[in-house]
Amino acid sequence: MTNEKQPIFRTLIGMMISPGNAVKGAISGIPWFFSVIVAALAFGMFFLQTGLDLYKTGQKGTSYLFISGGMGVVYGLVMIPLIAMLIWMVLKMMKTDKPLKSAVSSLCLSYSGALIYGILGLVFSLALGWKTSVAFGVTGVLWAIGPMILSIREMTGGKNALSIPIATIVSAVVLFSWSFLGNL
Amino acid sequence: MEEIEVKGRGLGAFLRTVCFLIIGICAFSNPLDPINLFNIGFGAITGLIFGFLYRRFLCGFLNMFNSKLKKEHGKKVVRDAVDRGMLFIIPFVVMLAAATYLLNWSMTAAFVSAGIMAVGTASSIETGKIKGKQEIKNTIAASGVSGLFSFLWIMSYPFLAKAPLLLEGGITLIKQMMAGGGGVL
Repeated sequence: MTNEKQPIFRTLIGMMISPGNAVKGAISGIPWFFSVIVAALAFGMFFLQTGLDLYKTGQKGTSYLFISGGMGVVYGLVMIPLIAMLIWMVLKMMKTDKPLKSAVSSLCLSYSGALIYGILGLVFSLALGWKTSVAFGVTGVLWAIGPMILSIREMTGGKNALSIPIATIVSAVVLFSWSFLGNL
Repeated sequence: MEEIEVKGRGLGAFLRTVCFLIIGICAFSNPLDPINLFNIGFGAITGLIFGFLYRRFLCGFLNMFNSKLKKEHGKKVVRDAVDRGMLFIIPFVVMLAAATYLLNWSMTAAFVSAGIMAVGTASSIETGKIKGKQEIKNTIAASGVSGLFSFLWIMSYPFLAKAPLLLEGGITLIKQMMAGGGGVL
């Protein structure tokens, strides 16, 4: 495993358009805390857009914007690394040789696409007044599934039979927890 | 020529068919009447046709760019790579079904679109794995076909969504005419 430094922007775009190659390069070249920041910002923007949509329809007040944004950051900061740890524990039982840091990094970096969608969504929401939580937010989270499957497959030595069910469960957990938090 | 043996081809084909069946059913589901047989039937047929065409086009384009690979490993090599890549649609289908029937969402085009794009990426990666190197031409071909089908799905959906209702109306009218002895008035 090489420890080459990867340009951050190239990693984010690479995870979106060519996740297979980006996963391999990014895990070795990007510090783990940077990956966690990517997930935290991605979910922060996604949840903030949910707050903005509810604010625009008059269902929630201004304070909810801060709560939803903060909730998203905490979700990305805590929940995603926690899920990565659970995945790593499952894979450890299946005799993976990849370290925990690599599992956390790759799962968090899977949300690079969600971060880009989040930034775009926020721009459209604030500048044009669009409701963007589903069109940009959910789409971003959906785009993360592809890199996630590839990351897990990388950790399992190329086994689709393991990576696809795990990615399905993780994605469903994210979808339902977002829906639950959005209804609070 | 060295043929590559593929395990679980039958199970993969079954899962793929079920996935496109569910995509069609969920996409054309009526939230007010989720067990409407016209919506389910029309959705199932549309999903299967869409899946069939998408797979054929994806195989066709990747075959076109990998004729050497076909000569080396046999005719089915690209098709098998595409079939393995198509399994990547499973998480999207599970989420689409959950969003449609558990969360009662009606805007589900993003699930299909993201799923198809993921399949395209996965198919090009699977093809690259056989070759031993990832090639940009495969990524472009697979992403191009997937992008086109994603666009077609999004564009045609508003028109196709009216079909189950028209179908139901037409059949009800015919039934009424038959019950009334053939006369309209």
